Amino acid sequence: MTSLRKKNPFGIAVVIAATLLFSCGEELSIDEPGNLVPKTVTQDASLPAIYANGAWLHSEAFGPEEATMIIAIHGGPGGDYRYLLNCKDLADNGYRVIFYDQRGSGLSQRFPKRSYTSLQERAVDLMYDELTAVIDHYRKIPNQKVILLGHSWGAILASGYVGKHPDKAQGLILCEPGGLKWKEIEDYVKESRSFKLWSELLNDATYLDQFITGKEDQHEILDYKATMMASKNDITGEGDFDPSASWRSGAVIMDALFSVGDSYHIDFSKGLENYTIPTLFFYSGRNRAYHDSWAQKITRHYANVEVVKINGVGHDGIITNTQEWNAQTKPQIINYINSL
Amino acid sequence: MKNSKHYACLLIFGLISNFIQAQTVNWQSLKDNEKHIFSANIGAEYGIIYGVGYGYKFDSKLFPVIANVEFSIPSGDKLLDDFKSKIGGNVRWIKLGKFQFSTKAQGIFRRFGNENVRLSNFGLDMSGVIGYYEKRWFVGAEVGFDKAIVTHFKHTDKYREIFPDVKDGWYEPATGGNFYYAIQGGYTFKNQEIYLKLGSIVSEDFKTKPTLPYLLQIGYNYKL
Repeated sequence: MTSLRKKNPFGIAVVIAATLLFSCGEELSIDEPGNLVPKTVTQDASLPAIYANGAWLHSEAFGPEEATMIIAIHGGPGGDYRYLLNCKDLADNGYRVIFYDQRGSGLSQRFPKRSYTSLQERAVDLMYDELTAVIDHYRKIPNQKVILLGHSWGAILASGYVGKHPDKAQGLILCEPGGLKWKEIEDYVKESRSFKLWSELLNDATYLDQFITGKEDQHEILDYKATMMASKNDITGEGDFDPSASWRSGAVIMDALFSVGDSYHIDFSKGLENYTIPTLFFYSGRNRAYHDSWAQKITRHYANVEVVKINGVGHDGIITNTQEWNAQTKPQIINYINSL
Repeated sequence: MKNSKHYACLLIFGLISNFIQAQTVNWQSLKDNEKHIFSANIGAEYGIIYGVGYGYKFDSKLFPVIANVEFSIPSGDKLLDDFKSKIGGNVRWIKLGKFQFSTKAQGIFRRFGNENVRLSNFGLDMSGVIGYYEKRWFVGAEVGFDKAIVTHFKHTDKYREIFPDVKDGWYEPATGGNFYYAIQGGYTFKNQEIYLKLGSIVSEDFKTKPTLPYLLQIGYNYKL
């Protein structure tokens, strides 16, 4: 043994290293649900959930069951409704306020990327059908009014929905949809993510890739990475000068819907000319990617629109800034609904 | 105790790496009396990166070895919240005329921090280079693999507001791995070299790509 050690220290080192490595005790795995990201409704039965259009969705509703429904539609794709919870205040005004995490997002059920991309441009119809199913789930009386309240991607989705189904919503409230035609969406995303090359924000988004990598449908890993990357944006204000809150990103659906949009140049303004009910359109004073001229450009897609600028906040702050929500956004929403 | 075991494991890995093996050098121009190689580089690899390195050449007619240490940081407002250190070396295994084949293996310790988490990782970077080396210049092709073997996660209060039950600690098996491919070329003058490396990075599943899927390095070597 002594002679072996003298002759081959390299081999001994390998054996010691291997022994130590394989005896390192209990480990945590990055793809185990509940380790780095919260469990979804299919992994944690205690979460509030509904079954809609073939998916288990994390969902809650507040306010009188037969009152006018306000459906809060979150951003992303791949965000969740936690940051929209100030809208719950509207239940105190007598409305039925409904929240849901879209499929593959937040705490809702996850699906493989292929389940979206294989539908090609019909992947967007899946999201519309899901919204119809959520409305149908909560509808208690046949003539119950429905008002869509969409933020960011949620506002794009709501716009596309009423363009396709103008009779299904009796009101439309939108907060800073990036764009409706694909080129507009591309331009907005580029503008809102134009971090300086040398900045800490860009570095935080890119340096992580050497520590954690996930395969195509490893949701726990990809969602965690997406949450880390989406945490802060000093251009739009998300997580920066605006308060922000979320549960869990949906990386796969975000990637899939961007991929579908890019491949088929989805036009979310299609049919909007047929939606003549007034639309309430908010944009923020501090989102540097959503200046006045951009708001003017986007609002031209709507047949009948009232445009309101919320000063002192950024993209999320229209709703997440509690002070401005109470002072500006909420009163505008209540006046709008009363005017319908 | 468990943590110290991890450190021990990976320290040994680093030492093994040192035996068998990263700077980009012109093997043909290395003179017998040049033992020390100081290097500095700037480039793009998971961010805008600034790096420095030191290598020591061991005399061997058959298999020249350069043991080295490297340290790099990405650009950003916070100086040392993220960094990467490597220890290892290059071995030139084959020389057929002007064509030469070398490999490198380096143990890695790197850190990442943002407002949500601080990660500490031990990893291993291995690659092979086939190149054509003249006294004054060289070109080569490199293929390598960077494995994040074991990673410690320590989350901030901000992330605990998002997910209060997040589990801190050592995560394994391996938390990540990326392949990289690059072409490299350099020019040698006196006891100095400048070189350029260009390439791409792809995840180990060969499908997903990092946010910045490119590799770029402009470097300078000074030999003593």
